[in-house]
Amino acid sequence: MLELGPMLRALMRNKIGALLIALQIALTLTIMVNAIFMMQERNRQMARASGVDEQNTFYLSNTVFGENYPLQSALARDLDQIRKTPGVVAATQINAIPLSGGGWSMGLQTKPGDDVDGTGTAIYFVDTQGIAALGVELLAGENFSESDISWRERSSNKWPPKIIITQTLAEKLFEGDWKKALGQTVYINNHDPMQVTGIVKSLQSPWNGWDNTEHASLVPSQLENKGSRLFIRTEPGRRDALMPQIEKMLADSDKQRIIRNVKTMTETREESYREHQATNNILLTVIIVLTLVTGFGIVGLAMFSINRRTRQIGTRRALGASQWQIMRFFMLENLLISSLGVVLGIGGAIGLNIWLVSTFAMTPLTPGLLLVGCAALLLVGQLAVSYPALIAARISPATATRGRA
Amino acid sequence: MLSMKNISKSFATDNVVTHALRDINLDLAEGDFVSVTGPSGSGKTTFLNIAGLLESSTSGEYWLDGEDISKLDDKGRSRMRNQKIGFIFQSFNLIPDLNLFDNVDVPLRYRGFNAAERKKRIEYHLDQVGLASRMKHLPSQLSGGQQQRVAIARALATSPRFLLADEPTGNLDSSMAQSVMSLLEDINANGTTILMVTHDNGLAARAKRQIFIKDGQAQELRQGQHNIHNLAAV
Repeated sequence: MLELGPMLRALMRNKIGALLIALQIALTLTIMVNAIFMMQERNRQMARASGVDEQNTFYLSNTVFGENYPLQSALARDLDQIRKTPGVVAATQINAIPLSGGGWSMGLQTKPGDDVDGTGTAIYFVDTQGIAALGVELLAGENFSESDISWRERSSNKWPPKIIITQTLAEKLFEGDWKKALGQTVYINNHDPMQVTGIVKSLQSPWNGWDNTEHASLVPSQLENKGSRLFIRTEPGRRDALMPQIEKMLADSDKQRIIRNVKTMTETREESYREHQATNNILLTVIIVLTLVTGFGIVGLAMFSINRRTRQIGTRRALGASQWQIMRFFMLENLLISSLGVVLGIGGAIGLNIWLVSTFAMTPLTPGLLLVGCAALLLVGQLAVSYPALIAARISPATATRGRA
Repeated sequence: MLSMKNISKSFATDNVVTHALRDINLDLAEGDFVSVTGPSGSGKTTFLNIAGLLESSTSGEYWLDGEDISKLDDKGRSRMRNQKIGFIFQSFNLIPDLNLFDNVDVPLRYRGFNAAERKKRIEYHLDQVGLASRMKHLPSQLSGGQQQRVAIARALATSPRFLLADEPTGNLDSSMAQSVMSLLEDINANGTTILMVTHDNGLAARAKRQIFIKDGQAQELRQGQHNIHNLAAV
């Protein structure tokens, strides 16, 4: 028969140890649940699709040092060489790489004017093979044609008349209905009109931490810069072999420039989220250490309690308690203490989450995660106390008559 | 109701075997009141522990209330202790964090009685020992004699057929000791069989039968014989 009543009354007479363990459990729950919540947030961010065919794409930097270098014809020649290479699906010059951390952003607005609020978007300058090279999916409209592609000088502030935008950006600009965006005119630089000629399903910006990272636009321009990047998509499974091949081909074909930073999109993603991954690892370590410390605390308190109550346990055995009843006594006592800790911890976890949500604009904690955290800590408590409880159960009933007071 | 045949107990360390009890033979009938005396280290407590199923003998047969104890596992022995035996300890062994009501409740919960039955028994037995008005007190708020009375109430609450008392007056002054002894005599008069270990010759002499243990061997004394043996022991 359970001894909840007497156990509670006895605990109330020896509050300090139990209360300290309950507080430790509460603190662990508070931190654990919120740490898992933060990990989940990061995992969710990391799991977002960039929109790019990451497995089969890579890019490289082309830095020209020669004087009077024919930038336009050299780029045309390079792209032609690359595109003719067996295994290459498409190639384009591009000004920025998704997820890389560095790029160009502008504001788009549906009406011209200096006082009109714009919506931020990442800008990718590409040519006719931009969509194919990135591997993004064109949902509506059409790709750029050769005649759409214009040359853009480094200091230029002119914008071509066409733009392709992502579905998310289209929804943002046109009140949630992305289909409305096709054919519409949007304004860049407050006044310069651009017609939306295509909508792609998704393409992330270069900045993974940006709230509007799904806002991206493709602009049909080629850059007349001495430093440029070429983005290449290969047939499945041929990327790794083609990377050194293309690097060598370009390097050999022209000695007035350097080819460097040949990197896959897979690497770029990994580098982009390295900090997220490291933070998650730290949070996971904190959770494990805290849980272990709490578990050891429970073991310590239970061992101390058992040593202090050896005679009492012997007496209970003499009065008819079976080994299982003694074990159950300590496990139940732990369950009471852990339950108090969990109740306090729920308050702590919600409180900390409210602060995190209001301070860092995160989404609120889910009740499911809180419940899993509670169950996990109750289980940790039961596991931690099971060994001391087993030791208690093995105390001989003859202890009751030994060691006279 | 209790029968021991050639009960022996030995403790083995690496090189030495110590014989705590040797070939004890004892039969107790319903309603007996037996005192066990002997010098310190003679094996009295070991004998009491075996009789009370607190530890096992190394060899021999032990039957209690028709059951062969050697055939019982730990659970069976716990059940026997709870149902058939009441314990009274020298140091009272009350649980300090529990009030008197909860202390007497301990064996009743192990017995599985419902709340109403337990309450009835606790109140009745605490009333019998004159402590019904102090049910919510902690043991530390009572005198030694009162604590031992609570321990007696706890021992009797399960209606055991056999009461084992280990130096029940050892920690009490003489007037309290007399009072506790009178209580035990009343309990025995009501039919409970009692086996009592004591150092006190005077109290031992008040039992119906006396057993003297020395060097692990037991001998039943005739009436009035205890002084000779105890003198020899000293």
